[in-house]
Amino acid sequence: MNILEEALKRGEKTLSEHDSKLFLAEYGIPVTKEQVAVDEDEAAKIAGEMGYPVVLKGSGSELAHKTEMNLIALDLRTEQEVRDAFKRLTGHSETPVKEVLVQQMVKGDRELVAGLTRDPQFGPCVMFGLGGIFTEVLEDVSFRVAPLSRWDAHDMMEDIRAKKILNAFRGKPAVDREKLADILVAIGKIGLDFDSVKEIDINPLKVLDGMPVAVDALVVLDDGK
Amino acid sequence: MHSKIDLDKLFNPRSIAFIGASENPFKWGFIIVLNILKGQFRGTLYPVNPNMTSLLGIPCYPSVKAVPGSVDLAVITTPAKTVPAIIDECGEKGVANVVVISSDFSETGPEGARLEKDLVNRARRYNMHIVGPNTMGLYSAGPRLNALMPPVAPLDGGLSMFSQSGNVGVQMLCWGNNKGLGFEKFVSSGNEADLTCGDYLAYFGDDEATKVVLAYMEGINPESNLLDVARGVCRRKPVLIFKGGRTDTGGKAAASHSGAMAVSSRLLRAAFRQAGIIEIEDSQGLMDAAKAFSTYPVPQGNRVGILTRGGGWGVITADICEEQGLVVPPLPDELMQRFNKILPPFWSHGNPVDMAANILLEPFMECMEILAEWDGVDSVIALGGSIQGVFDFDAKVEGTKELKETVVLAREVAREYTTQHDVVLDHTKDLVDRTGKPVITVTLGDYDGFKSDLRDHGVVSYATPERAVRALKRMVDYRRFLDSPVEL
Repeated sequence: MNILEEALKRGEKTLSEHDSKLFLAEYGIPVTKEQVAVDEDEAAKIAGEMGYPVVLKGSGSELAHKTEMNLIALDLRTEQEVRDAFKRLTGHSETPVKEVLVQQMVKGDRELVAGLTRDPQFGPCVMFGLGGIFTEVLEDVSFRVAPLSRWDAHDMMEDIRAKKILNAFRGKPAVDREKLADILVAIGKIGLDFDSVKEIDINPLKVLDGMPVAVDALVVLDDGK
Repeated sequence: MHSKIDLDKLFNPRSIAFIGASENPFKWGFIIVLNILKGQFRGTLYPVNPNMTSLLGIPCYPSVKAVPGSVDLAVITTPAKTVPAIIDECGEKGVANVVVISSDFSETGPEGARLEKDLVNRARRYNMHIVGPNTMGLYSAGPRLNALMPPVAPLDGGLSMFSQSGNVGVQMLCWGNNKGLGFEKFVSSGNEADLTCGDYLAYFGDDEATKVVLAYMEGINPESNLLDVARGVCRRKPVLIFKGGRTDTGGKAAASHSGAMAVSSRLLRAAFRQAGIIEIEDSQGLMDAAKAFSTYPVPQGNRVGILTRGGGWGVITADICEEQGLVVPPLPDELMQRFNKILPPFWSHGNPVDMAANILLEPFMECMEILAEWDGVDSVIALGGSIQGVFDFDAKVEGTKELKETVVLAREVAREYTTQHDVVLDHTKDLVDRTGKPVITVTLGDYDGFKSDLRDHGVVSYATPERAVRALKRMVDYRRFLDSPVEL
């Protein structure tokens, strides 16, 4: 995987959000439609082609906590809003942002989390649970040791306390559990395929018309040193 | 990677050398020898002690090498620092396995750990295996081998257990005696310097006499192949593990305090589950599940029929079923009609089937039969199935002559009634055999008949619906695992 190798060569500790998603997409994990823009005009052009509303996010491997750093502009509905947001994000004084990610705005109706962690004894382990800003507080997550069978993946969905959130919900269809199982199995496979992937954090993994899609993703690297 | 170790000579030795045999009744070298003799070991026992010529009427030998015949197993109770030299002697004698009861090894610090490593290195030179050190010994029903520290004599049965705590394990043997649960093999794994839980599990997995494997574990040796072994064994027979040291159950405080530990405990539990191991959360639960698994067939699914003599208990049972993810399906019309014919008009008209204070045996047995035969459920819980202990035969009554006579008569009726208890139990067992579904009875009273229910009638009964449902849930979980596809 070139994305990984190049990032490691550059001595980076994480992949940027965009690179993380490109990497995950190669394993069949559905991600938001998005493109990197280096100037205002490009951002406006991409947004126009993608269709409104869009999200703009500061892009770069060092920008792991974009919400806290105020580097996100949500629900932009016009070209003017995109242009204004681009100026604001790139004009940030403390954190110079050179690139901006123009991203499809996925509203979604449920927020899940999925990821990979490494344990000294068990090796790569897949995590799945209730996502969004309350992940850490509610701690409603389930773990499985890679490799995961499809049954393991389905079992994880049964494991969380809030499992009913996967069913049909407020007029929204049930989450496609097979697609979700694909994602969890794939995350485990990445962990086994690449020692250099230390952690993966897909949060939120939003549900749009029953289909899970990675709205934010972070791949943490381990250069083996 | 580990290769499978043949432990047949460990659990079926023809001869034992007991090194550290003693005349002092307060020493383990005496107590364990006595346990072996009391247990009527089928092979030959050779006590070894250079200062004695006989012990309890048996010839004693100055060293293991002086023993006239071959020695399959050596049990060692001498102080830690003497053990390495004894290991060499055993190796030269051609002993297959040694059980090192002696403590003061890795559990006490780095000095002990070095000594322990030394034992293993020496044993490997002779291709010999070690149980322990710091073990409470082992038990094996086939050769009537009872080389345990405490004087417990387990009942015969199909359970085999390995335990990382000798005390907890031996306690299970004792509880088994009270509950009627018998053991085939038991080993206290001690410090696991050589043989680990994975080796015992592999052996129990292949052992035909072992029907259900039990374990108490606190951690998993990183070198152990336990999880790989479990993946194969769990497809063939149930493996129930009571895991101690689950630091994250104490709440988030533990998680934030020692995050790494908490996560790794969660991971261990996840890994257990992936391998098909049934994790048990408490000591009573281990024996409760052992009883169900070793007695009844595993249900085909999660649907439960509930029969109760009283409404409240039915409600409570239905609650726990739902909380545990078991389904209590509604009764179809056809079944309603059948119950209508048996029960008074004010019965519950649903599942749970509440007999509404009908105390007669016949309708109880009939209802149980209808539920068990219904293809809408995979198991039945019958509350009030065991009726012993409900009647107070001894209460004194003051009052008129008529009252006293009537009470005596009522007692006779009750006594007669209670003797029919066996009929209910045999009917229950018959239903289990006929339908292939677990029919679990709950006594709802203080009761000392659990052992007899199990051993004389083959019926699984518990004191409370909570315990019944939890045991059933373990079986349903195991069914889910058995039905899951094998992926390579």
